Amino acid sequence: MASQVIREWAGFQQFPSATQSKLLELIGKLKQESVSTLTVLVMGKGGVGKSSTVNSILGERAVAVSAFQSETPRPVMVSRSWVGFTLNIIDTPGLVEGGYVNDQALDLIKRFLLNKTIDVLLYVDRLDAYRVDNLDRQVVNAITNSFGKEIWHRGLVVLTHAQVSPPDGLSYDEFTSRRSEALSKIVRLGARTRKQEVKASSIPVVCVENSGRCNKNELDEKILPNGTAWIPNLLQSISEAVLSESKGILVDQKLIEGPNPNNKGKVLIPLIAAFQYFFVVKRIQKWIRNDIARESRPSWA
Amino acid sequence: MASIAAPGLAISVNRSHRRLNSSTKTAGTSATAASLPKLTVQSKLPTFSSSQNPKPSSSNPRDNSNIFSPKQLHNVIKTSAAIGAGLYALSSGVSNILLSGNGGGSSGGIGSGGGGGGGGGGDSFWEKIFSPAAIAGEEESQEWDSHGLPANIVVQLNKLSGFKKYKVSDILFFDRRRGSTVGTEDSFFEMLSLRPSGVYTKAQLQKELETLATSGMFEKVDLDAKTNPDGTIGVTISFLESTWQSADRFRCINVGLMPQSKPIEMDADMTEKEKLEYFNSQEQDYRRRIERSRPCLLPVSVQREILQLLREKGTVSARLLQKIRDKVQQWYHDNGYACAQVVNFGNLNTKEVVCEVVEGDITQMVIQFQDKLGNVCEGNTQYPVVRRELPKQLRQGQVFNIEAGKQALRNINSLALFSNIEVNPRPDEKNEGGIIVEIKLKELEQKSAEVSTEWSIVPGRGGRPTLASIQPGGTVSFEHRNLYGLNRSILGSVTTSNFLNPQDDLAFKLEYVHPYLDGVYNSRNRTLRASCFNSRKLSPVFTGGPGVDEVPPIWVDRAGLKANITENFTRQSKFTYGLVMEEITTRDESSHISARGQRVLPSGGISADGPPTTLSETGIDRMAFLQANITRDNTKFINGTIVGERNVFQVDQGLGIGSKFPFFNRHQLTMTQFIQLKQVEEGAGKAPPPVLVLHGHYGGCVGDLPSYDAFTLGGPYSVRGYNMGEIGAARNIVELAAELRIPVRNTHVYAFAEHGNDLGTSKDVKGNPTEVYRRMGHGSSYGVGVKLGLVRAEYAVDHNSGTGAIFFRFGERF
Repeated sequence: MASQVIREWAGFQQFPSATQSKLLELIGKLKQESVSTLTVLVMGKGGVGKSSTVNSILGERAVAVSAFQSETPRPVMVSRSWVGFTLNIIDTPGLVEGGYVNDQALDLIKRFLLNKTIDVLLYVDRLDAYRVDNLDRQVVNAITNSFGKEIWHRGLVVLTHAQVSPPDGLSYDEFTSRRSEALSKIVRLGARTRKQEVKASSIPVVCVENSGRCNKNELDEKILPNGTAWIPNLLQSISEAVLSESKGILVDQKLIEGPNPNNKGKVLIPLIAAFQYFFVVKRIQKWIRNDIARESRPSWA
Repeated sequence: MASIAAPGLAISVNRSHRRLNSSTKTAGTSATAASLPKLTVQSKLPTFSSSQNPKPSSSNPRDNSNIFSPKQLHNVIKTSAAIGAGLYALSSGVSNILLSGNGGGSSGGIGSGGGGGGGGGGDSFWEKIFSPAAIAGEEESQEWDSHGLPANIVVQLNKLSGFKKYKVSDILFFDRRRGSTVGTEDSFFEMLSLRPSGVYTKAQLQKELETLATSGMFEKVDLDAKTNPDGTIGVTISFLESTWQSADRFRCINVGLMPQSKPIEMDADMTEKEKLEYFNSQEQDYRRRIERSRPCLLPVSVQREILQLLREKGTVSARLLQKIRDKVQQWYHDNGYACAQVVNFGNLNTKEVVCEVVEGDITQMVIQFQDKLGNVCEGNTQYPVVRRELPKQLRQGQVFNIEAGKQALRNINSLALFSNIEVNPRPDEKNEGGIIVEIKLKELEQKSAEVSTEWSIVPGRGGRPTLASIQPGGTVSFEHRNLYGLNRSILGSVTTSNFLNPQDDLAFKLEYVHPYLDGVYNSRNRTLRASCFNSRKLSPVFTGGPGVDEVPPIWVDRAGLKANITENFTRQSKFTYGLVMEEITTRDESSHISARGQRVLPSGGISADGPPTTLSETGIDRMAFLQANITRDNTKFINGTIVGERNVFQVDQGLGIGSKFPFFNRHQLTMTQFIQLKQVEEGAGKAPPPVLVLHGHYGGCVGDLPSYDAFTLGGPYSVRGYNMGEIGAARNIVELAAELRIPVRNTHVYAFAEHGNDLGTSKDVKGNPTEVYRRMGHGSSYGVGVKLGLVRAEYAVDHNSGTGAIFFRFGERF
């Protein structure tokens, strides 16, 4: 995996020039902060468009997508470099299978990520799903349990299928904010963010539209119904997350397995054993001696 | 199964009775047997079982009075009422008949039992078979002679013919002082060996009269015969009861091991002065005798009662003395001093009644080994091994007590070394009034080997057994007991359910037991045990919660070595500590080593990525740890119900030796209290008290905790109403239970409530098996049940799902 060849970012040139210049600007900013590598982890339920988003960002068909079935059986890392800047995007299989969080998939992802540093997490869901339910929470919980709640400091909520006509009586912006508000709430709960932290680090929400039929503006950039060119916007949010104060998450053995409960309190064992001998065993021995003293003897004894 | 036949009282009573009767009939000698109780244990197998600890049968006073009834003791020192000091002997000497408890003796017992059962055809049948003496008696009874005299005349004894056998139709006692006959319930009748409708010769009747005359009970006694029209005779015994001055003091002394005072025949032609001197010297002798005697065990309360009796009656009569004797002996026998006897009343006519008792002092204790034929032989067992089991009340110089004897019997029996144990008190011929306690032991075979086989038929394909599915299984075991006569033993056993393929399932055990680690003379009772073992158990950690489809099971195989030392403080409280070295292998259903638990995916597939089964995550762990267990148990049975307190604390302390250097401290504390809610009278057949049982169990582990050592919640011995491990598997657990037991008839019903909690430590078990198998981690239950023999039938409601079910379980929960 580490030996994977880092290819030229060929898709970069496919972007409209306006997008290219915006991206170059962002890369320059990152380079100023001496960030030359960026690792992005994409996670979410199955079939929400994780792989499509990856492809959109890279501007090429880097990972296989299919309209009707899950095509990502295991995590894939795609690395592209451009002008000395490397972008690693890790695409993962869907976390939900048959109504449950797929622990096996999660485990697979964790092991894949071993010894990698995650700079940004993209939590992907659909904009055009109206409801958030318990399953969403379980997924967020699973991510938190696996990587710790710190990962949400580097987290982005990405809403796909953004080119949607909102339900009756709602404007697009209203619908988007409602939906993102609902999701953010779930994420905040799942990330176990404390109340006072909520304001300090609200998780940014970005909308994307991967479809080829996506509307384009006069500069040939893909735009959302509200007119935002979303690719530069997404990368802008990513770089902002990277440049924030928080640190990237290094996935090591300890993180994968959680703190080893077997090591907790091990140093206290000699003390515990001594306590047991002097205060429990001795006490019970005393009780036994009392019993013997109090034992009622038969009349003949 | 070992059984205790402690025939002791009832049986030996029957037997001696029979012998007495037949001997009087045939030989015509006066029977002088005071049978002593004998204790016997016979055990076929040296297995421990509850039946080896029988309830001490409280000695039945009626039986006792039978054994020691004066009729059997009434052979007497010859005393003459003329002696001024009034030495009044009721009986002397302790002669006895000891019956063997085996073989012919027991069949004789049946015969006599039938005979005693009230005659009829069965009576003579048994007697014909078992008792030649009885046959002789029958023949005699058919050949009695008619008196050959006119009816209804009174004939003096010496006028009767010496050649005839008279049939006695009835016997009357006529009190001359009161001028009336005495009822048959009077104590005098017990002194008589004549029985109505018996057949006696003149010589026998004369002997009987002589016996009565010399008993000291009567100043004067005569025997007359009244002829009946049918040829039989009625016997009238007219008497003048002996009486003495009234007394207001009572003293009881132990004259055991002292020479009996023997009256010196008075010379008929002594002068008055000589007579006076003689009486004086006798009085002095007697005073000296009292001084030398030891105080007796009779408590003050009984003495006071007797004094009360003396004061009420005024004059001291023979019958009163008899009553006092009975009372004193009654107390002794009620308290287990089975060999105690009132031998004499002294100091009559002096305001003080001195009751002389031979209490049955033990002069010697003999341990004897017998071979299979009952001959005395040299035993393999060393004497101190037996001796340390004997209560000190059986030692030389103590008064023999039958309860101490029973205790000795139980203690020796618990050694499981002997097939037959007898504790016999025997009168000491060399030392009058002394008792020799004989302990006769038959040793069990030292070496034994056993093979038991069984065939199991496993249903094959289609539910029908096939030839290949018939599996020969069984156990091979051997035992070498009592090495060096010090009760050390080696035992081993191998069990398999399939001899053709023993590697599938082979259980073995090899154990060496070394008692008396501190020496057989040291009172400290420590036993060393070293064993080599294996075991296979289904892990309750890998169990699904409610509503989870079947979780593929994990078998935990353990094999290893164990050495520990057990110190017994009391029969139930003990402290064990030792070292365990074992290898733990976890296997799946098909006996393949599995390093992780399996689980069923929602899609129906099975994935092997569950919680790790072992510390090393390879499926095989090796570890060495110290194990200590201290048990304090002061429970006892009150009318069959357990009451008391039991506390157990156990620690497994890892030493960092083994796979992944396991270092841990795994501890559990169990506290159980059986609280008696009502005071009840103790005794056989009395109702047991209602009992409230409170139970708490804490288990915890610090350090490395492989899943097979995690504490599981749920199950018949944890939280009832759930399956084993159904609530969870955690690092620290607490279980609380309360049960109320109400006796009903001869069993009890109970209601209970239980709770188990993982204290949030399920996640601290690696892989969190509680969550993986979707268990709650805590749960309560409540229910009711009834005890039916060994089986508990209970209805328990599981509080997590709110559903109830009926369970049948063996054994006790606590």
